[in-house]
Amino acid sequence: MTRKNKGRQKVEMVKMPNESNLQVTFSKRRSGLFKKASELCTLCGAEVAIIVFSPGKKVFSFGHPCVESVVERFLTRNPPQISGTMQLIEAHRNASVRELNMQLTQVLNQLEVEKKRGEELNQMRKASQAQCWWEAPIEELNLPQLEQLKMSLEELKKSVGKQAEKILIQNSNPPPQFFPGSSSNGGINLPFDHHAKNNTGFNPNMMPHGYNNNPGFGRGFY
Amino acid sequence: MTRKKVKLAYIPSDSARKATFKKRKKGLMKKVSELSTLCGIEACAIIFSPFDGEPEIWPSPVSVRHMLSQFKNMPKMEQSKKMVNQDSFLKQRIARANEQLKRQRKDNREKEITKVMFKGLTTVGKLLQQDLNMLDLNDLGWIVEQNLKEISKRMEVLNKGGSINSSSGATAAHSSSQGEKKSSGFEQKQQRWLLDLMNPKQNNTGGFRGEDVIMFPFGDGESATTHSNNLWSNPFYP
Repeated sequence: MTRKNKGRQKVEMVKMPNESNLQVTFSKRRSGLFKKASELCTLCGAEVAIIVFSPGKKVFSFGHPCVESVVERFLTRNPPQISGTMQLIEAHRNASVRELNMQLTQVLNQLEVEKKRGEELNQMRKASQAQCWWEAPIEELNLPQLEQLKMSLEELKKSVGKQAEKILIQNSNPPPQFFPGSSSNGGINLPFDHHAKNNTGFNPNMMPHGYNNNPGFGRGFY
Repeated sequence: MTRKKVKLAYIPSDSARKATFKKRKKGLMKKVSELSTLCGIEACAIIFSPFDGEPEIWPSPVSVRHMLSQFKNMPKMEQSKKMVNQDSFLKQRIARANEQLKRQRKDNREKEITKVMFKGLTTVGKLLQQDLNMLDLNDLGWIVEQNLKEISKRMEVLNKGGSINSSSGATAAHSSSQGEKKSSGFEQKQQRWLLDLMNPKQNNTGGFRGEDVIMFPFGDGESATTHSNNLWSNPFYP
């Protein structure tokens, strides 16, 4: 099983000895810090400013509503101005942030779904590898097995080609009735037009997420 | 630690919001401190609670004021280069998450197609039972071809360059001359693939003849023409 990282490890609270590790740590932790600050602002309606100087002497900052206003508020010790225009601007800004948070949540949820699916597929592959020798990684196969697998795959490739040809032919033959005035394209489907009506009777997709809604043929996965 | 998933929205309940604020503010300060120590850098935080007007700051008023003047003394350009607010920060996060999502979907698609391939191996001649459309067939063909390439390479290794039969010899020669060009097939227009498929004239390697008009995977031996070895558009690496 391949792991992307070592998982959570306890870290000693001293300056990191390794220069490149330090850089990576800075990068990751700064990002995480801003994330936490962002969440604090969203969840609790706090006003926050964070200023961080990088090892390379660059400056990173996060601020809500913005770095300047929070800094000013701190320096001048003035209570925040609550003029009418300010309130309007504030309201707009908050609405936009709300939207973005929802969008982010949506994408993160989708990501989680896909990750779970990925795990599921990994498990399935592992399970079937136990029963089917040909599903093992190619490095683990011996010569006669490779020969056999090769032949089977070449057979499969032929089938695929034939199947594709069949679909193509089906698509380019107009059905018996042709209604020029109808809303369909008259039954003549261009070979790579995924938006054409399915009049050939094959399933639009065996894959989840509707991949055949992608324009552009050669992409396949997008 | 509760570990309950929290909705990314303003907490309506006053008490819950207050409690959350207290905890998270403490956590945030801790994180700033850790960042500063671990990386040997200067950092400061100013937090205005929604409940009262007094800011909480780290590390100390003096240090914060010092850092602020340091900050303000930098050219405006430098200051704003890496400056974000909620709006821009969230947009960055969304973009990053979308990238990850795209990658994960691509990965999963590859796994799914491989699954289809293995299924296709055991139900010979009944490929149609899987109800595949052109997109699926295209991807399937590509994956089959990738596997064939890998197999040939592996076979070459095992044979230690000894006498191999003509077909795998041609393929092995091709794989080695091609290297790891995974993305080279991408530019292919799908029409070309189909054209090759249906045009028996190009099939001059003596591979599959007769009623099979499918081109031999590694073409006519010329790697000069981009299409000869990559009939199948590369679905994985656009």
